[in-house]
Amino acid sequence: MIHKLIIFSVAAMMIFTCSTDEKASTQEPSSFANNTPKGQASVVDNVSAKNILQVAVGSKDHTTLVAAVQAAEIEHILVNAGPITVFAPNNAAFAALPDGTVENLLKPENKAMLVDILTRHAAPGTYDVKQLKKEAKKKRKVYTATGDYFDVVVKGDDIYVAGAKILATIATSNGIINVVDKVILPAK
Amino acid sequence: MKKINKTAFLLLAISLIVGLTSCVQDKSQKGALAGSTAEKVFVAPGEYDDYYAFLSGGFSGQLAVHGLPSGRLFKVIPVFSVDGEKAYGFNEETKPMLETSYGSIPWDDSHHPDLSQTNGEIDGRWCFINANNTPRIARISLKTFETVEIIEIPNSAGNHSSSFVTENTEYVVAGTRFSIPVPQKDMSIDEYKGNFKGALSFIKVDPDDGIMSIEFQILMPGFNYDLSHPGRGKSHGWMFFSTYNTEEANSLLEVNASQNDKDFIAAINWKKAEEYIKAGKFKTVPTKYAHNVYDESTHSATSTMEKTVRILDPAALPGLVYFMPTPKSPHGCDVDPTGEYIVGSGKLAAALTVHSFSKMIKAIEEKNFDGEAYGIPILSFDATLAGTVQQPGLGPLHTEFDGKGNAYTTFFISSEIVKWKLGTWEVLDRKPTYYSVGHLMIPGGNSRKPFGKYVLAMNKITKDRYISTGPEVCQSAQLYDISGDKMELLLDFPTIGEPHYAAGCPTELIHPYTQKIYKLEDNKHPYVTKSEHEAKVVRDGNNVHIYMTMIRSHFAPDNIEGVQTGDRVYFHVTNLEQDYDVPHGISIIGAKTSELLIMPGQTETFVWEPKNIGVWPFYCTDFCSALHQEMQGYVRVSPKGSDVPLKWSLDGEDL
Amino acid sequence: MKKSKLIMMLGSLLLVSLFIFPLWNITLEAPQYPEPLGMDIWITKIADHNPNDVKNINLMNHYVGMREIPEHMKEFDIFPPVVMAMAILGLLIGWKAKPKFYLAWFVLMSVLGIAGMYDFYQWEYDYGHNLNPKAAIKFVDEVGKPMAYQPPLFGTKTILNFTAHSYPMVGGYLLFLGMFSSIVAYYISRKEDRDDALGGS
Repeated sequence: MIHKLIIFSVAAMMIFTCSTDEKASTQEPSSFANNTPKGQASVVDNVSAKNILQVAVGSKDHTTLVAAVQAAEIEHILVNAGPITVFAPNNAAFAALPDGTVENLLKPENKAMLVDILTRHAAPGTYDVKQLKKEAKKKRKVYTATGDYFDVVVKGDDIYVAGAKILATIATSNGIINVVDKVILPAK
Repeated sequence: MKKINKTAFLLLAISLIVGLTSCVQDKSQKGALAGSTAEKVFVAPGEYDDYYAFLSGGFSGQLAVHGLPSGRLFKVIPVFSVDGEKAYGFNEETKPMLETSYGSIPWDDSHHPDLSQTNGEIDGRWCFINANNTPRIARISLKTFETVEIIEIPNSAGNHSSSFVTENTEYVVAGTRFSIPVPQKDMSIDEYKGNFKGALSFIKVDPDDGIMSIEFQILMPGFNYDLSHPGRGKSHGWMFFSTYNTEEANSLLEVNASQNDKDFIAAINWKKAEEYIKAGKFKTVPTKYAHNVYDESTHSATSTMEKTVRILDPAALPGLVYFMPTPKSPHGCDVDPTGEYIVGSGKLAAALTVHSFSKMIKAIEEKNFDGEAYGIPILSFDATLAGTVQQPGLGPLHTEFDGKGNAYTTFFISSEIVKWKLGTWEVLDRKPTYYSVGHLMIPGGNSRKPFGKYVLAMNKITKDRYISTGPEVCQSAQLYDISGDKMELLLDFPTIGEPHYAAGCPTELIHPYTQKIYKLEDNKHPYVTKSEHEAKVVRDGNNVHIYMTMIRSHFAPDNIEGVQTGDRVYFHVTNLEQDYDVPHGISIIGAKTSELLIMPGQTETFVWEPKNIGVWPFYCTDFCSALHQEMQGYVRVSPKGSDVPLKWSLDGEDL
Repeated sequence: MKKSKLIMMLGSLLLVSLFIFPLWNITLEAPQYPEPLGMDIWITKIADHNPNDVKNINLMNHYVGMREIPEHMKEFDIFPPVVMAMAILGLLIGWKAKPKFYLAWFVLMSVLGIAGMYDFYQWEYDYGHNLNPKAAIKFVDEVGKPMAYQPPLFGTKTILNFTAHSYPMVGGYLLFLGMFSSIVAYYISRKEDRDDALGGS
């Protein structure tokens, strides 16, 4: 009887001491749980107007781009206050690259290259159709996040940026998505 | 029985040891990191923080005093906006502080606090901060933590590249963001280019009492002047300003001011400027600006309107200004503790540009120019370039230094702080911020002697970081430990308004020298009442002056009769306490102003204009003592022209 | 000059230090006063230990009906001439008189000292008991009698949330040293007499 009692109380003590410990240790780091590289992209908000990332994620035509953005871990840039303009190559544009290019870029060891290629498609500012036409008229260039300058050319009803044709323009809460038919690679 | 007991004890002992060790292991595996992080910011009850941090209130117009590492908020010092809590801008004594050449203005946008320095090190005497909208510079005493002086800056608009102090607080510098017609005139906005000017003001600070005066203004080309920092050590005598919109666009700047490949960092030789002033090479031009000074012995501010300012023309004065080309609209313009490196953060640029002061001097000597802009020599980019930090992040804004050869730069778009090495320009570490960081601050990070233990990041966006307060949520600051190789996020705390920039220094530079009370015998307020016997009520036409005292726990007098409707009643109230932290407050029903919150030994005044007859109560608004709720009184208001005599008393007796 | 004379004269001179240093101190400690409130008792005045302490003691005490610490007391008129007289008397005794008068001086000083302490006690008693009947706060003790707030004559005592300390200050210690010197001087003189006697034989 005494035996049992003692064992019981020891067990209870252990559970008690360890459980409080565990509580402390699981609770405290939870404030750091949000600190993923995704940053602001992990904010859950179903009410506000959709931002560039949310629109892209919802598009069937941009699954490759979204996969690339996720692999490059630059989601947080696309949810930034901006304003930014993204020239978003559709799936067909990625598919048009030489075989194996996309697969190669998605490899972890090529992350830096992937980041470079993707950020080249982003420019600070709000370049909608009207603005791009104005840039073309005034012969101004679009300056991108990688420091490149893109020519803007209007041919008939179409607009070309660095040789890529704009297929559609979507206004989002933090900037503009211009869907383009080509992946814009570094000028050689 | 005995045997059982023995084994039972043995078991108990073993299980206890096992239990204990398992728990210990448990802790080290799961909770250790969190535990040590919490410990690093925990300041035990009654203990003091190691550092003061002065965070600008942004669109609140004020200055917040926090402690680090705890992040606790201690005081919001009213500077450019009225504050009903402290009667700032509401009592008669501080109303003149908010006077400008445009009249009294109840609000502004405060941006960049900076602390006074001696020999390039923080001396804990004053804090300066700029008003952005209606250009002004304020000086805050770090003895009383009150705003003691505000000077308006003429010929300036959007006073943004301010208020940075030179190595011995010779000057506090204020640069215009907008260029404007100088002097102002009615002209077409389209004629901006070549006609608008940007004034950079050098405000002299008296080394003894801190009183400011505009020594001279340099009238620069019509660019936007964004930020500035002083040279130090070898570059003492120089001031560096970042510019953007060298395109001189006057509309849609987000596109039109982003066209030039490079804008400039303007290097100003203010020692040279002093020589030109001495030689009389300036023009005195008429203007109008308010200079408001709070006198700590009369507890009252006065406002004077100044009439002229001295202007230097850099095109006509060789050696005064040089331009250093810097890529893509540089925002931050930060000088390292040695004074050798000037970091230009082109906010649209893909790389950080660092200029070398000694290379700059060499380029000037060798006249290694790349043309000129409005008569100001442009130094060749390669001649001043010390190095670039390649692909550090997106949207660089500001840089501070830890004094150990490292620099820390904020990136707004990629929302991170990046640590890099001066000289090798290699990126050493990066940590995310939550979210969209603007400025950052290392205590003393803008001096010769940084205290490189913490960096404080100030964020514009918090979204889901805290429990929600509806559509409007706070902005925030985040504290990182930078004592190791890698930065470590320690703490995340909300701030008032928008924390643009901050200044910090060790507690021991300020805390021991702060003032506890105002000495009653030194009180020279014109309406002071130094003892209850001197309390009185005086009529002067329609003005009634009540000389009142307050001490635990009563007013003297507390019954007043003979006031009439249509009177203008001045309550001049002196707090007779001489004990630390015993303020009293006062307000009266229907007063169209704020309460007074009066510190021990201080006199303050509010005005009450009774509209209705009756008996109206007043009371102490600060829970001062055990009998605080008894601290009250009445004013009887009779009709205009009534023959009720002026009478005042305490406890039924005349005073 | 003989050692005993010197000690006696120096001892009486120590009394003069009461004009330079405070005699006694009463200090009040409470949690809300991180820097305790203290009053220094001189033979000529009651003064702040730190600026404004007396004013703040008065402010605290008025709630329970205690009167203000007086700026002037009759003792301030009496003590200085008495102390001066005793110092001069001591000097004269040391210079001219026989050693047995050293003891007499000591006894006289002790009588005066006890009288002074008694006077101090009386004042303290009155200060702690003679309360304003209109006081805002009236406490009673365990047996229901009005509470008294008399500070200790010597030592430490808890009064409500205050801890009161009552101890001599520099002037007080020098006074005791001076009085003690007279006894020392007396005993040394006896030894000197013995030595003289031995030396003379």
